[in-house]
Amino acid sequence: MSAEVAIEVKELGKRFGGVQAVDGVSFSIEPGEIFGFMGHNGAGKTTTLRMLLGLTRPTSGSATVLGHDIVGATLAVRRVSGYLPASYALPPDMSAREFLHYVAAMFAIPRKVAADRAEALIERFGLSAAADRKLRGFSTGMTQKVGLAQALINEPRVLFLDEPTSGLDPLGRHELLEHLRGLSRDHGVTIVFSSHILSDVETLCRRVAALHHARLIACGEIAALKREHGVATMDELYLSLVRRQAA
Amino acid sequence: MRLALLDYRATLRERKTWLAAAMLVYAVLAIPILLERPPEHVREAIAAWFGDADPFAVFMFVWIDLVMNKIVAFIPVILASGVLLRERDTGVLAVLAAKPISMSHYFVIRTLSVCAVMLTLHAATQLVGVLWFPGRVAGFRPATFLAAMSLHAFSAVFATAFAAVVIVAVGRRGPGVLVALMLLGLLVGLALVGFYQPAWSAATLVNPLTLGALAMRDLAGLSAGTLLPPMLALVGLTALTIAIGARLARRVEA
Repeated sequence: MSAEVAIEVKELGKRFGGVQAVDGVSFSIEPGEIFGFMGHNGAGKTTTLRMLLGLTRPTSGSATVLGHDIVGATLAVRRVSGYLPASYALPPDMSAREFLHYVAAMFAIPRKVAADRAEALIERFGLSAAADRKLRGFSTGMTQKVGLAQALINEPRVLFLDEPTSGLDPLGRHELLEHLRGLSRDHGVTIVFSSHILSDVETLCRRVAALHHARLIACGEIAALKREHGVATMDELYLSLVRRQAA
Repeated sequence: MRLALLDYRATLRERKTWLAAAMLVYAVLAIPILLERPPEHVREAIAAWFGDADPFAVFMFVWIDLVMNKIVAFIPVILASGVLLRERDTGVLAVLAAKPISMSHYFVIRTLSVCAVMLTLHAATQLVGVLWFPGRVAGFRPATFLAAMSLHAFSAVFATAFAAVVIVAVGRRGPGVLVALMLLGLLVGLALVGFYQPAWSAATLVNPLTLGALAMRDLAGLSAGTLLPPMLALVGLTALTIAIGARLARRVEA
């Protein structure tokens, strides 16, 4: 594995029957970077993330995560990764604490270590008062906090977040973005941040990839892309990219 | 191992497990009362099969065939319906599938967990029965009862693994549950045919639920020699069934 590359994606593609969901996407992400992944719904962001985690098998191309091949070493990729899907549910009959222990057991984390990490995450996400309540009664924001906590229980070196701010109120969103910055800055965690909320992407990321109709239409530093397209905001940048693609 | 234990504990606390436990408690409490004055057609059937047999043998027939076998056709399906497909349908699998455990491995853990819950429910039912039946069931013999039902527990575990595999094989939860109910119902329906038609006795041994009821053949002379072979056969069949399920589980996508 090259020290300069945490994630390397080469001509990655996925076809579902007659539908090309991801088409020849290539990019690379540096270690400790927070990398933005933007595009409209159905652009191929989620499918790309799922391929990187070995949840969906690519039909073309290749990729590595911290040097592990996403097809040949799927479990090794998952061992070093955390993942928060865009759409998910938590087991309704478990409490937040039980669920964190359960996920820790899936990583074969020793019981004492798992207990310490679970407590730390419960505290960090302000879940102490609700930690022993069943998850079936949790609000969207609380569910998202538990979802994030489970993604961090293995102290991942790479974090894949698919629309993590959806469902969060402004304060929750601010706290999450701050937390992600801290993970990147203090712990060197590489974060792939997929979102169609462009302000979040701009707040958090230095570099982005934009997907449109399954294809990568831009990849690079946000500031450079803005300069290149002569625009001031992320919304204008995205519209410019999409219009250029349409033309 | 720890994951299996946590999963077992979580499954024990689920509502469906409590529902199943309530059904079993009802069965234990109700059977002695029902046996005091059985319906005429049941009385006639028992007289035809057993003549003036030992009342304990009649009780064991009722307990195994009319109670526990019916329960074994039902509760395992309830328990196994949650394995992978409910998690997929509700969205829980979207989170769990990204962990470093293959879908096959996770299926095995979940199936062993629900099998353990079934075993717990089965064992607890027999233990409650051992306390409740003496004095209420004529000629009740606790040791023979527990020995016979320990064999039956292996068929209950098999039924649970079988239901989990059938549901995953069908690939959709509703239809899978129906198919599992039908198949287990068929196996239960044919389980004691060999007792009514001795000529078919050997052929019915291919039915795992017949193996679970073999203690009925010789209640007076139960020994390790009569119980161990069917137990081992059921363990083998259960392991084979789970192995097939593990292969099928690879198709399940979060």
